[in-house]
Amino acid sequence: MYCVADREVVMRLIYRILLRLSIILLILLAGWAVYFYVNIINEVNDETDDSLEDYSEMIIKRTLVGLDLPSDNNSTNNRFHISEITQDYIYTHPSIEYLDEMIFIPEKNETEPARTLKTVFKNKNGDYLLLTVSVPTIDKDDLKEAILYWIILLYVILLSTILMVNVWVYYRSMKPLYMLLHWFDTYKIGTKSKPLKNDTNIYEFRKLNDAVIRHTVRTEHAFELQKEFIGNASHELQTPLAICQNRLEMLADSSSLTEEQLGEIIKTQQTIENAVRLNKSLLFLSKIDNGQFPDHTEVDINLLIRNMIEDLEEIYAYRNITLTFTESAPLHVLMHESLASALISNLLKNAFVHNKDNGRIFIDVSARGLTVRNTGEDGPLDEAHIFERFYQKNKKKGSGGLGLSIVEAICKMHCISIRYEYLDQQHSFILTFSKKNRWGN
Amino acid sequence: MKILVIEDDLSLRELLVKSLEKERYIVEEADDLQAAMFKIEDYRYDCVLLDIMLPEGSGFEILERLKALKKQESVIIISAKDSLEDKVEGLELGADDYLSKPFHLAELHARIRSVIRRKQNHGNTAIESGNVRIVPQTFQVFVGEREFVFGRKEYDILLYFINRPNHLISKEMLAEAVWGDHIDQADNFDFIYAQVKNIRKKLNDGGSTVEIKSVYGFGYKLIVHD
Repeated sequence: MYCVADREVVMRLIYRILLRLSIILLILLAGWAVYFYVNIINEVNDETDDSLEDYSEMIIKRTLVGLDLPSDNNSTNNRFHISEITQDYIYTHPSIEYLDEMIFIPEKNETEPARTLKTVFKNKNGDYLLLTVSVPTIDKDDLKEAILYWIILLYVILLSTILMVNVWVYYRSMKPLYMLLHWFDTYKIGTKSKPLKNDTNIYEFRKLNDAVIRHTVRTEHAFELQKEFIGNASHELQTPLAICQNRLEMLADSSSLTEEQLGEIIKTQQTIENAVRLNKSLLFLSKIDNGQFPDHTEVDINLLIRNMIEDLEEIYAYRNITLTFTESAPLHVLMHESLASALISNLLKNAFVHNKDNGRIFIDVSARGLTVRNTGEDGPLDEAHIFERFYQKNKKKGSGGLGLSIVEAICKMHCISIRYEYLDQQHSFILTFSKKNRWGN
Repeated sequence: MKILVIEDDLSLRELLVKSLEKERYIVEEADDLQAAMFKIEDYRYDCVLLDIMLPEGSGFEILERLKALKKQESVIIISAKDSLEDKVEGLELGADDYLSKPFHLAELHARIRSVIRRKQNHGNTAIESGNVRIVPQTFQVFVGEREFVFGRKEYDILLYFINRPNHLISKEMLAEAVWGDHIDQADNFDFIYAQVKNIRKKLNDGGSTVEIKSVYGFGYKLIVHD
């Protein structure tokens, strides 16, 4: 099963691509658009200035030669006038000067922006003259506005087109990837799954397909071997253990034993019993790890706990341990019954074995999970290690060291979260069942 | 009573045979599928102990053969696998009981008697030992002619012992059998003593010829005085 952690941000590939593409293009295209606009505007400006220059030249030539000068009401919009200037002017002003100014246009009776060129020249009498040529620039401004508008439009269209094309190309090209992912969703190890049919002539995806097929075949094979091995290993181990037990049993029945001899036999039997139990637990753990408990039924946790407590009353009483069972709501879950049983029984066993005489055990069941608390000697347990196999802070009799490992394996298999806390000198194990496991809630 | 032991492991088979002979059964043995087939085809038994994990074949074939020959033997399957599927298949093929290894010999004997008794008495399953009689359907216990009332755990303990006479039952074994598997977490089984004391008193009062003897404090043994 696959459990997603709460705080992770998981994004689809296409969104990530679009996001990055957008940011980069936004900056690059903007840079280009600005550069383009500035250059165009400069060109436009240069055009105007060149035309003024040509006009000035023409007028100066005509003046020097003595030809007629164009009237003001010509069709070019250029206006000019020639004025006499003193020598001072020459020393304080450049001989050629371009500037933007507002000029009054009598025909329109308005003041409009214009571009002006002032040129100083000498006529054949040696007088210095200033030629001022102006052209209204309103049209130029309109032109500039239009250029800006079209550049922005082009920018937006270009950006969105690029992104859309990207999306389309992406989905066409990535189809084999999504087919593979989809196949993975339906693939379950240990069961017969549909074979992977993902034809593609893209080298990378072919490679991916091959790798996936190769590895799943290998995993399936290993899985089957493992299952067989566990079954056989356990069988092989159980038989010699059984024989030892039985031989000792027959020996113990004989009436010609001294107390000491019988004592040794009994102790040996107990040790073998421990080995048998350990073997069974290991087998159980391996089965869980291999997913050999796929069936789910509805299990009434409250009832399960109640039945178990009944069986344990006698031993609790002997060590004077009190158990308090609080049910604030019924808890029904979807699990294999023997796994639910093993889960609860191992938690309870843990709470008992690591308790002190006259201690207390609390079981609280709510609609979302359960908590098992127990008093105990020794301080808090090491959270990082308690679920490891065979880890025990203090070795206690009756504890094989696998109980919590089994609990953890079962929890992991069903996406049940389990937490350990040490509060008020009590050990607490808090289990929360995820929504999909809870029945009816 | 004649019992056939079908088991391929030499040590275990030898143990089983010895233990059964001690209980005064007549025992035959078979160490593989073929030998077993010969035996069941030629002879009759009261009970067959069948290990289903045999070389060159599964013990289930024996079951099928017995069924085909319409034989009346009671069959107890013994297996190292403790697999639910095997259990179900075995019982469906006509086996009467299923024991997974490792098992206590006392347990095996109790199952054998139970299975034979079931077949013989055709439903009437009162259990007798000495002058003590237990009727499981009604939970009644009679010592001599008198009926005694037993508490739940007391009844379970007495029944357990009566089904396993002359076997040393350790305190752990008794606790596990009567209180359930969870009991293995206890480190002290002295709470059993209180129950046994009560049983002994009632047996005494009824003049029982059956006695639950303590064995050095390790456990108890039920013996029948003649």
